[in-house]
Amino acid sequence: MVAFRNTDTSQRTTGLLLRCVLYSLLALGLIIVDKRYDHLGRIRRVLSVVAYPVQVAVASPFDGWNWFKDSVTTRDALRADKAKLEAELRIAQFRLQRYEALEAETQRLRALRESTVGVTDRFVIGDVMDVDLDAFRERVLVDKGAGDGVYVGQAVLDSGGVFGQVARVGQLTSEVILVSDPAHAIPVQINRTGLRTIAVGTGDMNRLKLPYLPTSADVIAGDLLVTSGLGGGFPAGYPVGTVAEVKRDPAQSLADVDVKPAAALERSRELMFVWLKPQTAEVLPTPAAPKPAAPKPAAPKQAAAKP
Amino acid sequence: MMHDNRIRRFPMLLSTLVALALAVLPLPAVLEPLRPDFLVLVVFYWCIESPRAGGLGLAFVSGLALDLVHGVVLGQHALALTLMGAWATHLRLRIRVYSVLSQCLTIFLLLTGYQFVLFWVDGATGNPVTTFSRWLAPFIGALLWPALVNAFGNLRGRS
Repeated sequence: MVAFRNTDTSQRTTGLLLRCVLYSLLALGLIIVDKRYDHLGRIRRVLSVVAYPVQVAVASPFDGWNWFKDSVTTRDALRADKAKLEAELRIAQFRLQRYEALEAETQRLRALRESTVGVTDRFVIGDVMDVDLDAFRERVLVDKGAGDGVYVGQAVLDSGGVFGQVARVGQLTSEVILVSDPAHAIPVQINRTGLRTIAVGTGDMNRLKLPYLPTSADVIAGDLLVTSGLGGGFPAGYPVGTVAEVKRDPAQSLADVDVKPAAALERSRELMFVWLKPQTAEVLPTPAAPKPAAPKPAAPKQAAAKP
Repeated sequence: MMHDNRIRRFPMLLSTLVALALAVLPLPAVLEPLRPDFLVLVVFYWCIESPRAGGLGLAFVSGLALDLVHGVVLGQHALALTLMGAWATHLRLRIRVYSVLSQCLTIFLLLTGYQFVLFWVDGATGNPVTTFSRWLAPFIGALLWPALVNAFGNLRGRS
């Protein structure tokens, strides 16, 4: 039975049209103000705190399930995990041995060229919340917000490479737009040749594209793309993806290049928010003075803090 | 009359909150475009059932909540929901006496209008979503409508 109980059909809603027009004008005004001016940023930040309980309530069963899964792991599984992690750590430390020296060298060379683009200063780890934002845009909600110093446009990495950037900041949460979003573009450099171009998202989490490379460009499948640091948004030298396929149509002037993202866009749960070192004159060191920016090695690397 | 309205407020608020939670519940990526606009259906229901209890104010506030949780330009869902809520309120006396099929068709029309306003605002604010999957949600929503009305009727019948 599909029936409504309220059958007193005599009720007239007075001034329906008037109220409709008023509310619509209010909504239109909000749209225009939000789009054109930046005044709503603070209001939105406060309002996002109101939305937070709903988001936490939705995410909590999934968090609970993950916690449950973690707490019933067997001893053997934990042991295997530990062995694997130790092996990975050994390899990582082995690779790190020359990193400090290389970094210093890079800095010196950069200083010579007077380019000090994007050097990472410190980072904070945030957890992806189990909440769906827009179904048609590639975005995730992360549990770090303006209260943690996160700002709009900030670079976000995962353990594999560049994940995206902060699109919007609330007090307690922030929205990260993925590199695979069709509205996202990131300046990159082909590691093998140094060729600079722009990688654009496609809406498919497993594919980016390089739409601005001429057919004659030196790019082959397997090339590593790293951030170029141009534009100042992203730190330089982090992996963005590898070239999966290059299609060259002689009739076209531009090549069709597919890129597989380096970050695990579908699976990553923990993301790193990166702060760039302020670009001041002091970043250009004289060869005698080894890097005046003192807090670099002792940068406050906050561990994953789960609230 | 006042007393009547006060009784109705609680299920209204509860159903609105639950629908808001359903709107952000994580789904597998394949199913995501198929997610019906639960909150819109609930608002339509209350617009038709008792326009005085919630009415356009409920539509506007629910729309703002959707804007916030979806992280889109503030006012987008509020505009769409206000317009379509007003239309639903205008049609409510007719909808109440419609057959199930006609009700579903009307709701489908309203949901499509809702999506169209969203689509238009998306385009006007410079980030259009051009995938066709956006137009699937009204179908699912219209199919869900009889179940929703039944559930709400029973809920209120018991109390």
